[in-house]
Amino acid sequence: MSDIAANVAAESAHAPSEPSWQARALARLEDGLAALTDRANPILVKETRQALKSRQFIVSFLVVLVGCWIVTLAGVAVIGPEIYFGAAGPEMLLAYYCVLAAPLAVIVPYSAYRSLAAEKEENTYDLLSITTLGSRQIVTGKLCSAAAQMFVYFSAVAPCIVFTLLLRGVDAMTVAALLVLAVAGSLALSMAALLVGTLSQVRYTQAVLSVALVMSLLGAFWGAVVIAYVCLFEEPIPFGDPETWLVSLLLLTLYVTTFGLFHAAASARIAFPSENRSTPLRWWMTVQQACFVAWFAGLVAYMAAMMAVQGFSLINDLSEMLMAVGVVGLLYWYVMGTLMTSEWPHLSRRVQRSLPQSTAGRMFLSLFNPGPGAGYLFAVSNFSMMCICSVAMLIALTTWYGGTWGSRQETSLYFFVISWGYLAGFLGAGRLLISLFRRFAFVPLAAGFLTHFILLLAGIGIPLVIYLMSPSSRYFNTYSLSQITNPMITLVTLVDDGPDAIDALTVSALTTAAGVVMLLLNARSVAAELHRQRTPAPIRVIEEDAEAQQEIRKPQSPWDEDEAAASAAVDP
Amino acid sequence: MVLSPRRPAVQVDRLHRYFGTTKAVQDLSFEVYPGEVFGYIGPNGAGKTTSMRILATLDEPTYGDAMVDGFSVVDDPDRVRKRLGFMPDYFGAYQNVNVREYLDFFARAYGLSGMERTRAIDRVMEFTLLDRLALKPIDGLSKGMKQRLCLGRTMIHDPSVLILDEPAAGLDPRARIELREMIAAVAAAGKAVLISSHILTELAEICHRVGIIEQGQLLAVGTVDEISASAETISRVRVRVLGDPSGLRSWFAARGDVRDLEESEGRFTLTHEGGPEEQAALLRQIVSAGFAVIEFASKTKSLEDVFLHVTEGRVQ
Repeated sequence: MSDIAANVAAESAHAPSEPSWQARALARLEDGLAALTDRANPILVKETRQALKSRQFIVSFLVVLVGCWIVTLAGVAVIGPEIYFGAAGPEMLLAYYCVLAAPLAVIVPYSAYRSLAAEKEENTYDLLSITTLGSRQIVTGKLCSAAAQMFVYFSAVAPCIVFTLLLRGVDAMTVAALLVLAVAGSLALSMAALLVGTLSQVRYTQAVLSVALVMSLLGAFWGAVVIAYVCLFEEPIPFGDPETWLVSLLLLTLYVTTFGLFHAAASARIAFPSENRSTPLRWWMTVQQACFVAWFAGLVAYMAAMMAVQGFSLINDLSEMLMAVGVVGLLYWYVMGTLMTSEWPHLSRRVQRSLPQSTAGRMFLSLFNPGPGAGYLFAVSNFSMMCICSVAMLIALTTWYGGTWGSRQETSLYFFVISWGYLAGFLGAGRLLISLFRRFAFVPLAAGFLTHFILLLAGIGIPLVIYLMSPSSRYFNTYSLSQITNPMITLVTLVDDGPDAIDALTVSALTTAAGVVMLLLNARSVAAELHRQRTPAPIRVIEEDAEAQQEIRKPQSPWDEDEAAASAAVDP
Repeated sequence: MVLSPRRPAVQVDRLHRYFGTTKAVQDLSFEVYPGEVFGYIGPNGAGKTTSMRILATLDEPTYGDAMVDGFSVVDDPDRVRKRLGFMPDYFGAYQNVNVREYLDFFARAYGLSGMERTRAIDRVMEFTLLDRLALKPIDGLSKGMKQRLCLGRTMIHDPSVLILDEPAAGLDPRARIELREMIAAVAAAGKAVLISSHILTELAEICHRVGIIEQGQLLAVGTVDEISASAETISRVRVRVLGDPSGLRSWFAARGDVRDLEESEGRFTLTHEGGPEEQAALLRQIVSAGFAVIEFASKTKSLEDVFLHVTEGRVQ
């Protein structure tokens, strides 16, 4: 028997060995993973490999792990026997949250920033940028790498957080909300850090930005801890209240659109100069504004429903809210407008090849073309649209409720008219100044932004000096027309003291006139930018695209071959 | 991607690049054809790296354009990048990455996937003789190995045009010879190579044509022989005659086109003003004057001589 067994064993040793099912499964898994990494961003693959071997990552991971152990041991020791019957969950969760928030709010975003800065310092950025990876892919890769690191830190703390649920006093929803906040916050901070990393190539500026970033990240860490404390001990999140979910959805909209805008901005900063870096940003601004207006329309509808159900007017509250929205919109479009009007007026041939061509496209999409003139009109149009929507909502709600046009509504109306005048006026004047400077020297984006800023400071500062030097104005603390170039004083006085305090009719007429004059003065160059025609692609590009099309149309099956033959017969 | 023989692989057209008031590149124009190794020589600060960076889509020209396989480096950098491999004069190293992972990353970055990527990495590692160092961290590589890896990275996506900025800098003689062979093999495969180097003897051996650049301007383009011929207004000539050489010395001394006359063991070395035709006339005249000439040779100019003659050593 033993001989037979030995013979069988010997034969099986000589026979070609069949891989075991485990080996086959492992090989299949490996193939699957390899196929998965083929689809992954190359930077994610490379940086994950690097991170797993880097001392900094291993040390910080161990510190987090050890931090969790210390919190667990110290916490259990301090709580003592009460752990069996008391509710120690919130205290322990806060401690674990602090341990988790440190890497998520500081280490991961700062690593993302350093990762991009190090590419430039170690001369690898050039090598990266001459590959076929686009600037968006580079930013996404860095972001994915930050996310991967984040989840590794998360895995160290996750068992401890589950442990807090067993300690009572904290519910799964609160834990989940805090964790979502931590993850979303860390991703947003990483995105912001990447944007900061693209802002300057100058070593000195980078050092200043680096310090500012670290301070901000430490502030964000502190903020995360405070939020967790408030949610756990002061004001638990009311998950049963529908308003909580509505506010969360509003925040999510704001988060996603701002994230997209930052992503587009970071990609634009590192893109090749001849690329169209402005249009994607303008799309994100439009999406953000559309979401903002849509949310506000929803809020107005909600208020209308409340008014119908509860029977009292909320129109004054709506007026106040509209003005608050107006302030945000004015600041937003002013900042965006200063950047857009500082863009270089000449379009690269590459951008000219992709300009909208159809009548509809030229009609609706020309404002998305890069250039300071189109940018000026884009900012003013968007803010105009916002003002019109806000006033329309106010009128609609007042009319629907059958109410009278009161003082606050009148103030809101003046507020939007005056704000529009300021935006069109300041941006227009700034754009004209930049065009004038460009006749003599190269004016980069930062210098353009500075020009706008100085113009605004002059608008605020000069009347302020006049005001301070005029004893009667100071004594009576009254608004005079000499302060009309100061948007801050004018709008604050209007909102606080009403239309009569600033002679709103005159001020709105003057600011609107100023805005219109600036629009007219800019009209020629704006029109020139909007009339730009698409230029044809070079023959070589057309040839290659045609070759690529032919590659795609290669027959994939005998039926395709038949079809190809038939079409060749028809079209010799 | 295969280059069309009808079209220059690289076409530089009136390229200018200014940094403030510094004119790094001024009105540069030349062409490189498929299968050709084009040497790019010039003193430090001549504008070689600036123009190479523009060709590699790392910088934009102030004026003018450059084409790679017919595509503008300004307007279609993405199409150019697919066809171009650029090896800068520095090695961009990533921390905590081994040789294979480094090549793998760049292969992925150029869009290679699956078996195509594996084959590309294997091919490049075999070509650059790095296959035995696949798992070695790149921080621990020697200068020569790093240069090989750099060349491997440049070739990972099988580009049809290679731009190599000082690829032989810091290499030992063996590594230089190997690099030279690699470049020759690449050109033999139909690719265009634009190479800059300070080691002119090596460039002379591998380059089909050279371009000499100084102060951002191209001073001469052509084969080494063509440039030497065009630069040969003065040459060193060696003459030996049978019998007493003193007669020939006084004969030379009487001529206005001969100077720096030296005599050693009956052999004269002199500087003669004129090109090959004038040298032939000189030989005829010596023979006509009754001297029995047994040796007459003009020294062939090396690339270094040509370079020194063409350039003036000015920097910006």
